[in-house]
Amino acid sequence: MPSATLLGQALISGVLAGGMYGLLALGLSLSWGLLRLVNLSHFALAFLAAYLTYELGTTYHVAPWWAAAMIVPVMFLIGIAQHWLFDKFKVNELASLLITFSFAVILEVAIQLYWTADYRRFETHYSTMSIKAGPFYIPVLELALCMVAGVLAWGTWLWLRKTYVGKALRAAAEDADIAAAYGVDHKKLAYLLSGMGAAYAAIAGTFIALIATLAPTQIWAWLGVVFAVVIIGRLGNPLGALLAGMLIGASESIAMAVFEPAWAPVVSFSVLIAILLWDPEWL
Amino acid sequence: MLLEARNLHVGYGDATAIWDVSLDVDAGEIVSVIGPNGAGKTTLINAMAGLLRCRKGELRFDGADMTCVRAYDYCGHGIALVPEGRRLFVKMSVEENLELGCYLAAARAHRQESLERVYGLFPVLRDKRRQLAGELSGGQQQMVAIGRALMARPRIVLFDEPSLGLAPTIVDDMFDIIMRVRQDGAAVLLVEQNVLKALDVADRAYVLEQGRIVSTGLPADLLKQPHIREAYLGV
Repeated sequence: MPSATLLGQALISGVLAGGMYGLLALGLSLSWGLLRLVNLSHFALAFLAAYLTYELGTTYHVAPWWAAAMIVPVMFLIGIAQHWLFDKFKVNELASLLITFSFAVILEVAIQLYWTADYRRFETHYSTMSIKAGPFYIPVLELALCMVAGVLAWGTWLWLRKTYVGKALRAAAEDADIAAAYGVDHKKLAYLLSGMGAAYAAIAGTFIALIATLAPTQIWAWLGVVFAVVIIGRLGNPLGALLAGMLIGASESIAMAVFEPAWAPVVSFSVLIAILLWDPEWL
Repeated sequence: MLLEARNLHVGYGDATAIWDVSLDVDAGEIVSVIGPNGAGKTTLINAMAGLLRCRKGELRFDGADMTCVRAYDYCGHGIALVPEGRRLFVKMSVEENLELGCYLAAARAHRQESLERVYGLFPVLRDKRRQLAGELSGGQQQMVAIGRALMARPRIVLFDEPSLGLAPTIVDDMFDIIMRVRQDGAAVLLVEQNVLKALDVADRAYVLEQGRIVSTGLPADLLKQPHIREAYLGV
């Protein structure tokens, strides 16, 4: 059994790493839950944003936050363009899975053609910085990521709860015809939400560039775990997505500390299956 | 005339469900459409609410041609639907359901006033306003569905089988509410299987069978017709 300090450190690292799962899950959960579109290209868009952040940072020495400020609006427009295709071809839930899978493959190939299959690392002086709190170390970048993810998840949650547009989106997800009978133009709102989803992918991408080592195949590395997070957090629930991300991150990290690192991938799906079987009231 | 349908044909997919239906509702009127199951009553009312496109014919509301108006613009003209089976947003709270009724800017400006009016009509909803709509009893859900329609400050309310699946005492309450809606200034188009009740509240009525209007007139006159007495009242 590892020491209390080691377990505590594992918990902190796990929760912070889980912030990334949550941030990636956010956009996916919104489009799946509220538009019934499963967007696998979400991961590819995040990596495109990560590579762009890397490119702007290493070639043009643009700070990552300025890079994000440029990339996020572009991704918002890409999200809208993507939704235009879904809308034009009246894509349903299953078809969206297949189509966005092919989008993702195309993006993967495009990234590989431009940036090659080599591993890329965006080195910054703050990538190794951490705050010391008692016996524990808190990496600054991951902490910033969790704060950004927290603000986005909380803000989106409030937006869905408190504004008429948010309520209209939730209502249309339940019964689009009746929502329309009360004046909700669901198509227009769907474009907005798709743009937001892609913008969230871009924000996640900026942090991926700073935290992870980039390779085109890494697009698929988070797919399984983030899907589990989206389902555990309940479709269309942004706060649920973030909390589920942190739960899975913490579980993985503690499993690695107590057992072996190889156990980590088993954890997310074990938690998913356990929660689906248990089906607690509060979820 | 407030609502005017002329020679309306409506259908789903390849099938036409109602043929050549002409029907009027004047301001402040309660008009009932009665008929057996599968006669096309819901199809008719969904077409009036903009949820179904008309194949042929004319649909006018307050003089405006509604056939080219998009579904989400019907409500803005003053048409509100209380759909069959209530179709509440069950994962949203009672108050959120009501707020969806005043989604459009013109109705939203009167949100507080309309909420007070609905809670005045249905005091029980005020106590349950934070609860999920799906957790309410059938009668209370019907109150939310009617309240949601009233929040839109409509000029006509379309009721589709409001008494379906409700206990007899609550059915009486629902018909009282329909009278109140008219008193408050809106016209009512009511589609019902409960023939006696529907004719009791109506100023005029239509009989819809197999997708066609077969008879129309004052409720008292319809009740005298042998066919109506035999088919709907069993006497």
